[in-house]
Amino acid sequence: MSKNKPHLGMRAKSTISNTVIYVILVLMSIIWLTPFVCILLESFRIESTGRVGYIIPKQWGFDNYINLWTKTNFPIWFRNTFVIALAVAVLQTLIVLSVSYVLSRIRFNGRKLLMNTCLVLGMFPGFVTMIVLYKVLSGFGLTGANSVPGLILVYCASSGMGYYVSKGFFDTIPKSLDEAARVDGATRFQVFYKVIMPLSKPIVIYTILTAFMAPWGDFMFAKYISHGTEAGMNVAVGLQYWISSKTLISTNYTMFCAGGVCVALPVTILFMCLQKYYVEGVTGGAVKG
Amino acid sequence: MASVKLTNVKKIYDKKVVAVHDFNLDIKDKEFVVFVGPSGCGKSTTLRMIAGLEDISEGTVEIDGVVVNDLQPKDRDIAMVFQNYALYPHLTVFENMAFSLRLKKVPNDEVYKRVTEAAEVLGITEYLTRKPRALSGGQRQRVAIGRAMVRDSKVFLMDEPLSNLDAKLRNQMRAEIILLRKKINTTFIYVTHDQTEAMTLGDRIVIMKDGYIQQVGTPTEVFENPVNLFVAGFIGAPQMNTFRTELVRENGKYFVTPFGSKIEVDGETGRLLAEKNIDSRSVVLGVRPEHISLAKPGVNAIPCTITVNEMMGSELHIHAVTESGAQLVVRVPTLGLSKQERAGLVNGALIHVTFPGEVMHLFDPETERNLLY
Repeated sequence: MSKNKPHLGMRAKSTISNTVIYVILVLMSIIWLTPFVCILLESFRIESTGRVGYIIPKQWGFDNYINLWTKTNFPIWFRNTFVIALAVAVLQTLIVLSVSYVLSRIRFNGRKLLMNTCLVLGMFPGFVTMIVLYKVLSGFGLTGANSVPGLILVYCASSGMGYYVSKGFFDTIPKSLDEAARVDGATRFQVFYKVIMPLSKPIVIYTILTAFMAPWGDFMFAKYISHGTEAGMNVAVGLQYWISSKTLISTNYTMFCAGGVCVALPVTILFMCLQKYYVEGVTGGAVKG
Repeated sequence: MASVKLTNVKKIYDKKVVAVHDFNLDIKDKEFVVFVGPSGCGKSTTLRMIAGLEDISEGTVEIDGVVVNDLQPKDRDIAMVFQNYALYPHLTVFENMAFSLRLKKVPNDEVYKRVTEAAEVLGITEYLTRKPRALSGGQRQRVAIGRAMVRDSKVFLMDEPLSNLDAKLRNQMRAEIILLRKKINTTFIYVTHDQTEAMTLGDRIVIMKDGYIQQVGTPTEVFENPVNLFVAGFIGAPQMNTFRTELVRENGKYFVTPFGSKIEVDGETGRLLAEKNIDSRSVVLGVRPEHISLAKPGVNAIPCTITVNEMMGSELHIHAVTESGAQLVVRVPTLGLSKQERAGLVNGALIHVTFPGEVMHLFDPETERNLLY
């Protein structure tokens, strides 16, 4: 028995520390989830359209959701946001991955300078260019009701500068794979999409997700480029409009909550489907290691 | 099947570091040429220039009479095996081997035929459905060779293909490459830093150092007639013994006088010295360990003390030190050595060694060049 004593002591210790850790984690998730739960509950409230002093609805129903999709401009905003996010996800992924691959693989004059310049430029916040961007886009007629193509341009414009993460990933794929493929008869582009892309699933997924998320939730650029025109708004701007004054809040608050849930759902589903690729490593066996 | 010709090929990195100087070589159709040298000698760079993976700074590379300097690797019709295998991790062994054929849009049944044939030759048929990560080092290297084999290309390049394998597997694979070569019968260029691989595989060996070709020749030529001290030391294991000594010409005969002894330079070496009318002078004397034998004390014997005795099985490698402190290595075959004699060869024992004139290599101490070649 005396032999086992320290063993039991250790087990007890770890039980205590685990309990403490779990209690802290549970408390943190409650704090974290409370606003989401509140919004979810509010969205099912039908006894009042404004704010009330309690959380649990007295009368439950889908009225807010039905009104949201049938009687407001929300479907337009949702479509705008979806089109923008999808286009940006595709374009930005193509641009970022191409730039990263080139910077990782090809040595050319000024490569270091280019990378450092991008790094420094990337440190400036995006909104310092706001006024100029607005002027340029309005010159092309891409503001107000036409803000969807305008916003796609804005979000994609400097996306090549975000090459760091994927370049870091490409750097870990042995160069000899590229060389083997080139000797095997592949062009540079074939090397990229037949060898490098399949090996880079995690980073492709990551790039698509981040490229989709940024315009999906963006408020600032969308707000001033749509410039108060409802047809050009995205969900964030449109929903914010509903709570921008006391009178609007009193008529739209529960619908605002329903809108919030509708916005959060696709992204949540997307994340849940794709998260396994984050951790999947596929380079095993490429080279001796 | 093709000839490869390199004319004044030069590789300069960043406009200052010269990795390969003025490389000239004519490789005949179906020849097996080995580039060998210590690391950093430019052998891999030269191979990569032939493959098209490195730009050629100056000079021309011709494959089958066509200058390929500006051709992409894919247009040169070459196959290459890499040191780290470079298998595509996301593809099965079959698809790895079929990769180049798929790019060329070869019909499916032809792909199947060629891949299974190559797999059979290499003994990897049962692994065709596996991914590379489920293979051992030796199997992966076979797949890499198979991937090059199915190509049926003009030139087969191998960049240190056995360096990542353990010693036993390396010997086995070396033998397999010799067999493979008979089967596919094409032009091979093989890069290695291991002189044993070079000697056993090559029809001709190109020995390189610091970007310069030192000597090109058959294994026998470079072993028997090394043109300089570097080649003499690089080819052969254990390394050739070298001593600074005097060459003395007396009455038309030549003698060397290492460590107080006086050994006549007779045989072919002596004849060539006389033919070239070389006078008495300082030389570096080179003698291979296998050419030194134990002897009785005498004027033509060098006394020395054993410091290390390595039992290799079929032979003893005896490291000894002379009275003046010079190191030398002697290979003594165990066959024919009596128990008593062997008992005498212990650390600290005094022995006498000698060597005949014909096995001597004489080098100029300044230029390090062989006096005879």
